[in-house]
Amino acid sequence: MNQHAPVRKSRLDRSFDRIRALEEAGALSSRVHNRSLRKFLSNPLASAGVIMFLIILLTAIFAPLIVPYDPLKIDLRALLQPPSAEHWLGTDKVGRDVFARILYGGRISIFIGLGSAVAAGVLGVAIGCISAYKRGWLDAVVLRVSEVFIAFPQIILVLLLVSILGQSLINLLLIFIATGWAPMYRMVRARVLSLREEEYVQALEAFGISTPVIAYKHILPNALGPVTVQITLSTAAFILAEAGLSFLGLGVPLQIPTWGNILNAANDMRILEQNWWIWLPVGLVISAFVLAVNFIGDGLRDSSDPTQQG
Amino acid sequence: MHKLTTYALSAALMLGTTPVWAQVANPLSDARVRQAIAYAIDMDTIAETLFRGLDIPADSMIPNGEWKVDGLNQYTYDPDKARALLDEAGWVPGSTIDMVYYYGDQDTVDFMTAIQAYLADVGIDMTMRKLEGDVTGELNVPPSEDFQTSGVTWDMAYGARAALALQEYFNVYSSDQTAYTPPTPEREDLIARINGSADPEVLKQAFYDFEEYENEMLSDIPLYYRQLQVYQSDRLDRHGADLGNENFIYDNNLINWTVEPNEDGEEVMYIGGAPEQFFEHRWLNPGGLTSQMLFDRLLTANGSLVTNGVQQAESYTLSEDGKSITFVLKEGLTWHDGEPFTVEDVVWSIETALKTPTMNSVFVSTFNAIEGADAYLNGDAEHVSGIVVDGRSLTLNLIRVDANVLTTFSQFPVMPKHLMADVNPLEFQQHPFWQNPIGTGPFRIEEIQMNDFTRFVPFEDYHGGTAKIDEVVAWPGGESDESIARNAAAGLLDFGSTRTLSNVEALREMDHITLTPVDINYTRSFRVNAFPFKPE
Amino acid sequence: MLTYILRRILLMIPMLLVVSFLIYLGLELTPGDAVSYMIPPDLGGQISPEQMEAIRESLGLNKSFIERYFIWLWGAVQGNFGYSLSGGVSISQIFLDRLPATLELSIAAILISTVLGTALGVITALKRGSATDITLTIGGMIGLSIPDFFFGLAALSFFALELGWLPVGGRLMPGYETFWDRLPHLILPATVLALSLTAGVMRYSRAAMLDALSQEFVRTARAKGLPEWRVNVLHGFRVALTPVIVLVGFRLPFLIGGSVVIEKVFQWPGVGNEFVSAVRSQDYPLVMMIALLSVLAVLIASLIIDILTAVVDPRVRL
Repeated sequence: MNQHAPVRKSRLDRSFDRIRALEEAGALSSRVHNRSLRKFLSNPLASAGVIMFLIILLTAIFAPLIVPYDPLKIDLRALLQPPSAEHWLGTDKVGRDVFARILYGGRISIFIGLGSAVAAGVLGVAIGCISAYKRGWLDAVVLRVSEVFIAFPQIILVLLLVSILGQSLINLLLIFIATGWAPMYRMVRARVLSLREEEYVQALEAFGISTPVIAYKHILPNALGPVTVQITLSTAAFILAEAGLSFLGLGVPLQIPTWGNILNAANDMRILEQNWWIWLPVGLVISAFVLAVNFIGDGLRDSSDPTQQG
Repeated sequence: MHKLTTYALSAALMLGTTPVWAQVANPLSDARVRQAIAYAIDMDTIAETLFRGLDIPADSMIPNGEWKVDGLNQYTYDPDKARALLDEAGWVPGSTIDMVYYYGDQDTVDFMTAIQAYLADVGIDMTMRKLEGDVTGELNVPPSEDFQTSGVTWDMAYGARAALALQEYFNVYSSDQTAYTPPTPEREDLIARINGSADPEVLKQAFYDFEEYENEMLSDIPLYYRQLQVYQSDRLDRHGADLGNENFIYDNNLINWTVEPNEDGEEVMYIGGAPEQFFEHRWLNPGGLTSQMLFDRLLTANGSLVTNGVQQAESYTLSEDGKSITFVLKEGLTWHDGEPFTVEDVVWSIETALKTPTMNSVFVSTFNAIEGADAYLNGDAEHVSGIVVDGRSLTLNLIRVDANVLTTFSQFPVMPKHLMADVNPLEFQQHPFWQNPIGTGPFRIEEIQMNDFTRFVPFEDYHGGTAKIDEVVAWPGGESDESIARNAAAGLLDFGSTRTLSNVEALREMDHITLTPVDINYTRSFRVNAFPFKPE
Repeated sequence: MLTYILRRILLMIPMLLVVSFLIYLGLELTPGDAVSYMIPPDLGGQISPEQMEAIRESLGLNKSFIERYFIWLWGAVQGNFGYSLSGGVSISQIFLDRLPATLELSIAAILISTVLGTALGVITALKRGSATDITLTIGGMIGLSIPDFFFGLAALSFFALELGWLPVGGRLMPGYETFWDRLPHLILPATVLALSLTAGVMRYSRAAMLDALSQEFVRTARAKGLPEWRVNVLHGFRVALTPVIVLVGFRLPFLIGGSVVIEKVFQWPGVGNEFVSAVRSQDYPLVMMIALLSVLAVLIASLIIDILTAVVDPRVRL
């Protein structure tokens, strides 16, 4: 890169100095990263969160190896069986194995929660970087659009979009992404706006390095900490939102097993009173998973925020 | 998407060509495929397990009883026969059927899941989706004019028909109404027969023939009859009144009911069916206890909805040929606001009803049979010439026999002209009257808290005597609402009916509640798209 | 300050216009309309497509989308928010009916969660690192993680169905005159809603309190020899209150929509419940007004928060 730098010697010298400074900063930041990791792992709650998260995630992924039952296979001669050696968590109103449904349902629920949070994060970061770096009319327009999205209470916006797009798995993902990108975008934008005034960025500009490269390679990594925290917290929020929507009957179509759809059976007062195995375990699994994600998010926040001690 | 298809189709038709590119051959047009589906489903087991024994497997759209012919094929579960029939019809194993449904509850999804498993077993792949948005519209798209291509895009639709009159089950197949089965000359003839007589014996034979015809054709694959479960708390004493079809209006001795008095010595009865935003108008769906409390009818019917007496009318006479009916109204009847109830109200109601689109189809067919109804609707006449008024008597002259004319007048409530004269029939439900309706019935509205409760008290000037109960409190929520089980458990529900499995199961376990099943005209079926082609 | 407020209010107008137009556009894209819902599919008799068209025409649904939008807008500007399509009821009337219920629930929940949350937050901050702090913090995390309706259902099945201490749902009963009559109905939903909020308030006020206590003027106050409780309350707590006000202020408008699920669980006849049924029956004018109202509430709340922050925190100037 430095071959393309301006020719005059004194300037080149200064530029080299800046690059060295930059490298040092880079090396420093990677050390900070390691320190964050250590700090993260020394936080007992965060570690517990990671373990809980992995257990639930892996059992969902490897569901076929753990339960022999098909989560969709009905058995009309074995309705509402209480837990037994055969069916660990009993069967539901059509004789499907509840444990299998929780495991397989986890795949979809986690996919919705994590997938839409990550996608919203990527979208928010991409738009945030570009618009904050470019400024001008693009930034102004995107900022106004994000204001529109943020002005809605989330559940109102989600319900509105559900009624417009209709109920399906993909639509729910899109809706969560649509409602989730704006906060990430604003966070990244604010961060980039302050970073772009930093000296090292101005130095890179002086080298003639293209805007996207500066934005993504040099500014973005410094803005990622809060974004990661926000993504974990959004994951928790989206999983809860999926459960709530499914409870209202406005989430993923009812025939697809998701945690929320399994819990939907608790709408029936009788199931609520008499067949605890249908709603209680899945409710606890949702709570445990969200708790794990919250612990992780908290740990990440503490470890990525240098001003916070302990 | 659906709009696009319609545009594409109409564009193609305008060019005068057959729109071959927009349609596909429909294997369900072969009756053997429809029969195979009927054989492939073990409805007996589903009724016993999934539906907790509350439903009766159906062999026809027509309910069991004297109107049902003996010896219909029951299509008892026989997967081998189903496979053989499919084979014979050239079914390609693994081909897909697109099933739609419109109920949003878990029971429906469970049932659909079971059906999917049964069909997969005989080599039919079934996809399912819930209709959203314009449900009635999507179920009833008219076919192409040559009856070769259906307008509906689905293959099968799970749904129900709730009928006031048995004719309603089969009239939907007529060439001017059909949406899913191509008309045949035999069936057009049968439809004419079930509508063409007032003689029960003639009608009965026509229905028998129709049932046998449909038993082979399976335009609808009948699934099950769902009974209405009437619940009653032990606080309530109905003093020997019959239980009947609670979905409609029948003579239930309401004014003599009593409940155990509360600590203040007041007899307060709790029911459901209060409004959430507005009172439902009663020309589409006339039934329900609140409807009966507010509005009297000209005639009364028994629990099976057979006309058995008079209410607002003092007497009625049906002419020998069935083409003229005369009512003489009781004297001195008043609305709840004290205004007199007159023949003018009846005439106004019938004429307005003719122009109201959201009407019960039985009422529609009666009123359309009145002489001069056409001219009135076209705007050629200011009034319907077949309605003749003479003092307190009112005569309707019909241009054809209407088998259900008496049923109509035991269900159709007359509305107060003095309060509704300015109504736009197209926006009948939107009239402010439905915020606080007034009738001539045994109870009047005392207090409305929309979405919380409505209080009714006896109408002191009621012609049949003042009702004995001091007050009726109605909670919001229809017969499928889960609040039924909750309110009943809390002792805040004394009478009503429901068809929802979860409610029935919960009520069944309550010691203070008695549940009684009542046969109603309510058949769940698969409507099968049997046109030779369907739009892509 | 006055010009600042005026400017903020003026800025709301283009925002509301854009939002209303977008909602209108979105609803236009949905299949079906309110007329489709007027005929239940179970009732065999159908009405002909021509008759459906006639009703649409009568309700003004067949006009072009832009036309309908401007008709609506013109009405709204004149203070006529339109009529619900399904029942013809004026939307202002529906708000008058529903809003008190929702506000009652929201305010009760906010009150409980603010008092409880701030108290717990301050305690955990002052006893930082102690067993109490850790237990309460973890407890708060668990509170944040349980789906609120799941919690509501459990509470309902235990306190109302099992023990019969509290009513199963609803808000008004015949003969209710005062707030005290309604109180038993309010307890369960308000508590359930409050508990899910408390955890958030607690975390926030704990962090704010810790932050405040580390500020220089608190140290100065301490150095001046003020008693510990006066330092904590007068200096720490007062400053810590600001972010808590922000949080609580932001919660209030969100509760109009945020309590949708809880309103459903407890059959609370509020705006949230109305919104769900309006969405289901595609009652555009009603959906539109509820969504707009909630957006307006968010905008107004953020303005009030800014003003209040300036009043409470001496460091902030508008």
